[in-house]
Amino acid sequence: MSGEKSRSRVLQATKKIGELILEYFARASEAKAQGKPVAWITVFTPVELLRALDIYPVAPEHFGAMCSARNFIMDYLEEAERKGYSQNLCSYSRCGLGYALSGMSGLMPPPDILITFRNSCDVYVKWWQSLQAHLGTPLFVGEAPYVLAPEDLDNYVLDYVVKQLMDLIKVAEEKFKLKFDEEKLVEAVKLSDKASELWLEALRLRRHKPCPFGGRDSASDIFPLVVMQGTREAVQFYEELLEEVKGKVGKGEGVIENEKYRLLFDGIWLWYAFDLIKYFEDRGAVFVYEPYSEAWAYRLDLSKPLESIAKKVLAMGLNVDIDLRIERFLKSIKEFDIDGAVLFSNRSCKSWSAPQLVTAEIMGDKFDVPYLIFEADMADPRQYAEAQIKNRIDAFLEVLRER
Amino acid sequence: MYAGVDAGASATKVVIVDEGENIISHAIVPSGINFKASSEEALKKALERLNLTKRDILYIVSTGYGRKLIDASAVFSEITCISRGVHKLFPSVKTIIDVGGQDSKAIRIGENGRVLDFVMNDKCAAGTGRFLEVMATILGKPIEELGALHFKSLNPVKISSTCTVFAESEVISYMSKGCKIEDVIAGLHNAIAERIFSMSSRIGFEREVAFTGGVAKNPGFVDALSKRIALNPILPKEPQIICAFGAALLAKKQFTEKV
Repeated sequence: MSGEKSRSRVLQATKKIGELILEYFARASEAKAQGKPVAWITVFTPVELLRALDIYPVAPEHFGAMCSARNFIMDYLEEAERKGYSQNLCSYSRCGLGYALSGMSGLMPPPDILITFRNSCDVYVKWWQSLQAHLGTPLFVGEAPYVLAPEDLDNYVLDYVVKQLMDLIKVAEEKFKLKFDEEKLVEAVKLSDKASELWLEALRLRRHKPCPFGGRDSASDIFPLVVMQGTREAVQFYEELLEEVKGKVGKGEGVIENEKYRLLFDGIWLWYAFDLIKYFEDRGAVFVYEPYSEAWAYRLDLSKPLESIAKKVLAMGLNVDIDLRIERFLKSIKEFDIDGAVLFSNRSCKSWSAPQLVTAEIMGDKFDVPYLIFEADMADPRQYAEAQIKNRIDAFLEVLRER
Repeated sequence: MYAGVDAGASATKVVIVDEGENIISHAIVPSGINFKASSEEALKKALERLNLTKRDILYIVSTGYGRKLIDASAVFSEITCISRGVHKLFPSVKTIIDVGGQDSKAIRIGENGRVLDFVMNDKCAAGTGRFLEVMATILGKPIEELGALHFKSLNPVKISSTCTVFAESEVISYMSKGCKIEDVIAGLHNAIAERIFSMSSRIGFEREVAFTGGVAKNPGFVDALSKRIALNPILPKEPQIICAFGAALLAKKQFTEKV
C-alpha cells in the first residue's frame, strides 16, 4: 500500500467556493441591514420562491457544514450542550441551536422568519419549533407527503404541496408587506433549472476514465445549488465549472494520475475530514459518484413554475421511497463503472443511514460490488475515530486490490 | 528469514518465518504508547532466541494500529494478514473471528485465503479485549484468571448494557448485591460473545470457523462464543500471533516477487 502516492487535483472552480460562501453570508447581512427579511430555511425549502418574494434565505445546515469544515463548530455544539441539548441529537441542529443561543453574532444574520418543509429529515420541524421557542421568530412549516412512486409527483399530492407554497406566499406577503412577483419567480426558476442542468452535465462527465473530478470537488461544489438557486452567480459558477471539467475530459486529465478504483460514496461528507478523500486518492481510489451530489439538482418546467417547484419539494433528498433510492444506486454502478462502495453511517442522519445496509446488500448481490460501512458524524469531530476508520479503509482497498 | 510485526492497540507481536514459511520464533510485548519502541523490542526478543540480528531479516511487513509508525518494508491491514495466517495453518477455514484489544473482526475468506468480506466493530469498545481488561480491573482479577473462573459459574448474570462504562456500573452493582464473581465473569463473557455474534452474523458462520486474536486465549470467552454460534471453532495454539504470522508470510511473498 505504501510507495504509491499519486497527486490529487482539485478543480479551480472548487477553490472559489470558500469566497462564494463568505460573500453569500455577507450579502445576507447587507440585506438585513437594508431592512429585507432574512429567512432561516432547512435545505429542502424552495429558495426560488423566496427570491420572488425578495426574502434572503440562509440555511443553518449549510452554516453547520461550513463551521465544521472551518474548524469552529465546537463553539456552537458546546453552547447547545451547555443548555442541555443531548450529544445524540443531529449535529447540524445542535450547531444551529447553539448559534441561536449564543447571540448570532457570526456570519449568519438572525432570522426574521423560520421556514421549513417536512420533507427528507425527521428533525426539521422539532428543530425549527425549538428555534422559534428560543428566538420568538415567526415559523412556517410546509408539509410534503412521502413519495412512494414517481406517479405521486403528478397526483393529488402535488396539488397539496402547491397549496402549501401559496400559503407561504400569503404568510410572507402579510407578515412583511411584500408583493409576490411572478416574473421574478419565472426568472428564478429559469436560473435554477439552468444551474441544475449544468451541474448534472458535469456529474455525468465523471463517467469518463480517468474521472475528471472527485469527492473533494463534488462535496464543496453543491453549495450554490443548496442556497443560491435562482441566482445568476450560481449559473455562472456552474458554467465555469462545466467548462473546466470538459477541458479535463478533453485532455484525459483525471483527479489522480493512476486511477485504480472507482468508488461510490454514500452519505453526507464528513466536513471536518476532507483529508480522508485525499487518503483514498493517495491510494489510487477516486470517488466518481455520490447520491448526495444529485440531491439538489432538479430540472424545473418554466411553463409551470409553481407546480415544478412543488415537485422539487417532493422529490428532493430523502423524501422518496427506498426502492427509488436503490434504483438510482444500482443504475450508477453500471453507468459509472463502480468498483466498490463506501457507505458513511452518519450518527446525525438516521434517515440517510438506516437503509444503507439493505441498499449495500442488494448492490453486492446483484453486481458483486464490495462495500465498506463506517460510522462517524458529518459535522461533530468528536465522533470521528481517525485511526480506526483508516484501518478499515486500508483493509477495504486491499480487498479491492485482490479482486 | 522474514518478519511480520503486528503493532496492536494492546500488544505488539512479532513472528519470524524461514524460507519454508515455518514459524521459527515469535515474541509478544505490551504496546505501551510507543509503537516504534515496542516493535523494536519484540523484534529483538524474537531474534535473540535465534541468535540473529535484524540484518538477517530480508523483509518486514507491518500491520496493526501502529503499522505506519514502525520501520517496515511494506504495510498491510490486519484483515489481510489474519486471513493469510489462518489460511496457511488451516486451509479449510472459511470464517475467522478475531478479537483484539481495540477491534473485533469477522472475516469471510475464499480460495487461497483471499478476503471476500469483512465486518469490524463500530468505534465502541464493547466486544473487544479492552472491555474485558476494564472489567478484570474492577473485579480485581488478572485477565488471565477470567477463563478458569468462567467455568465455575452455575448461574451467569445478565449484563444488558453494551456500553463499557455502563456495563462497569452493572458489574459493580452485581458484586455489591453479593453475586458470585464467577457468575459475573461468565455474564461478561456472554455479553461480549453476544455482541460479536450480532456483528458477525451479517457475513455468516460458514464452516470451518477459526477464532484468533488475544482474546481467543481466554477459554471462558471461547466457550461463550462457541456456544452462541453453536459451532466448535478451530483454535490456533497461539491465537494472538496469527496476524503477525500472516504479515511474515506476506513479507516473504513480497520479497520473492520483488527479486
